[in-house]
Amino acid sequence: MKDEATRSLKREQWHDLARKLDWGFSYVDAKDVFPEAMSGTPWLSHQDWADWDEPYRTSYTEYVSSQVAKEASVNAVREAIGRPEDFARLERPWLSALKLHSATLPLAEFAAAIGNLRAARFGRDSAWRTTAAFGAMDEFRHTQIPLLLMHGLLPWDPQFDWTHKFFHSENWVAVAGRHLADELLLCANPIEFAVGTNFVFETGFTNLQFIGLSSLARNTGDRMFENMVNSIQTDEARHAQIGKPVLATLVKHDPEYAQYLVDKWFWRSWHFFAVVTGFAMDYLTPVRDRTASFKEFMQEWVLGQFQASLEEMGLKRPWYWDTFLASLDNYHHMVYASAYTYRATVWFDMVVPGPEERAWLREKYPDSWPEFEPIWDRISERWKEVGPEVEWHTHGATPVGFCALCQMVLCEGAPGNNHARVIRRGTDAHIFCSEPCQWLFEKEPDRYEGHKDVVKRILAGEAPANLLQLLRHFGLSPGDWGRDAHRGHYPWAKREAG
Amino acid sequence: MLVPLYGFLLGDTLGLIVLVQDTDPVARIAESLEQAACMRVVPTGRNRVASGGRELDLEMTVAQAGLAALDRVDVYPAKAD
Repeated sequence: MKDEATRSLKREQWHDLARKLDWGFSYVDAKDVFPEAMSGTPWLSHQDWADWDEPYRTSYTEYVSSQVAKEASVNAVREAIGRPEDFARLERPWLSALKLHSATLPLAEFAAAIGNLRAARFGRDSAWRTTAAFGAMDEFRHTQIPLLLMHGLLPWDPQFDWTHKFFHSENWVAVAGRHLADELLLCANPIEFAVGTNFVFETGFTNLQFIGLSSLARNTGDRMFENMVNSIQTDEARHAQIGKPVLATLVKHDPEYAQYLVDKWFWRSWHFFAVVTGFAMDYLTPVRDRTASFKEFMQEWVLGQFQASLEEMGLKRPWYWDTFLASLDNYHHMVYASAYTYRATVWFDMVVPGPEERAWLREKYPDSWPEFEPIWDRISERWKEVGPEVEWHTHGATPVGFCALCQMVLCEGAPGNNHARVIRRGTDAHIFCSEPCQWLFEKEPDRYEGHKDVVKRILAGEAPANLLQLLRHFGLSPGDWGRDAHRGHYPWAKREAG
Repeated sequence: MLVPLYGFLLGDTLGLIVLVQDTDPVARIAESLEQAACMRVVPTGRNRVASGGRELDLEMTVAQAGLAALDRVDVYPAKAD
């Protein structure tokens, strides 16, 4: 009788057979099993997808083993440093970076589980489907970990409630977030999901948040956040590999559509991360803990590596590249100054950059920052006029405009040249923050036209125009709406006032 | 009739909604926008208003200036005398 060792197949003897298990259909047509509406465009024969591969080639056993180890590691760190008193030691502005991350990403990851599950059923090659199934399980984990960690902080700080609440609210940032996540993660077919999510969003941008911001978290002393996102990043790095082989096949058969999807999702991902990561890196991280600016992280992780990936694929940079480069110097500064003066409309506190922070920003953004100086001078002066604790003197009350495509405030361009533009289709006016947003809308008007931005909801009587009522509509109350992180108690304000 | 406009004040960081009556003078747009943005931009009190690439007469009414709901209007400081 053969012993156990000789009866067991070695991994390399069975693994490819298990991963690449596709078969022909005799009773139904392949198009019925993989309808184009669900599997994506272009619809190709399986032969065209048969070379699909990715480098991790994980088996289910390996997946479970490694995930158990990761969970144990996160839990150990949580038990050691995940209590409210551990977070209370962190700087208040950094906690806002944590609240911004926690609200915008975990439930978007849950939506990404749906996108992955669609690929796990309708992806056109079995290895793709297997990797997507692992991806779906990853995304559940990326939802559950922050929900668990932040829930413990709720009794200490009610703003952490937005970790779960955000995507279920009508808050203006949530309207923008859902507009992006619904299309990219919930509704996209597996081909568009692979290009938009796996290739652009995850390969191009999440490194910013999960590696770049994680390194800043370490500097601030937030080892819990650092550990959490590092753990998540190891999953992202694996399932992001779905993107390249899908895009490679798409480029081979329909290069124009491939370029369109890259251009579309690069711009939309850019706006998302400019706010989530841009705010955190350039404003909410204490200046002594910053190692590089958001722009420098973008240059390293996105401009360098992403461009190389595009070239490798035979694709061009997006047509709006020059606009994007200008935006890199301005957009998150435009949104941050705007949001600071409407901070009660968000669920995290914001901070005025003081002399030291402004010197740092001037050095990092020499071409654009001079235009923002008068704005922060003005806000600082208004704080000095009334003293600490009087939030409303530096707060706007007039409704702001929102882009009909990205649903963000109209902040593209620079203080001296806002790029917003209005078009009319029939009797309807649509405003866009930028040329790329207008281009995306006009490519698929039927998809976007029916969506009402916050202003259109106000004009239709579906949302209130009065700011205090609008805050309630946004899901906010005095207990959790955003304030100045220091309540106006700034050393520079006191010193100069004296 | 109430006319909502997208207002952009030079030097500001975002577009705001300016609500004016069609019988209001164009100058009211500049006043409203300066007031709405005063926590970010120092008001000058002397401005020009433009829309669709043309400068508007400040004394004209919003209706006479041909402004329609959700048009973009830009407000700039008046040139020094």
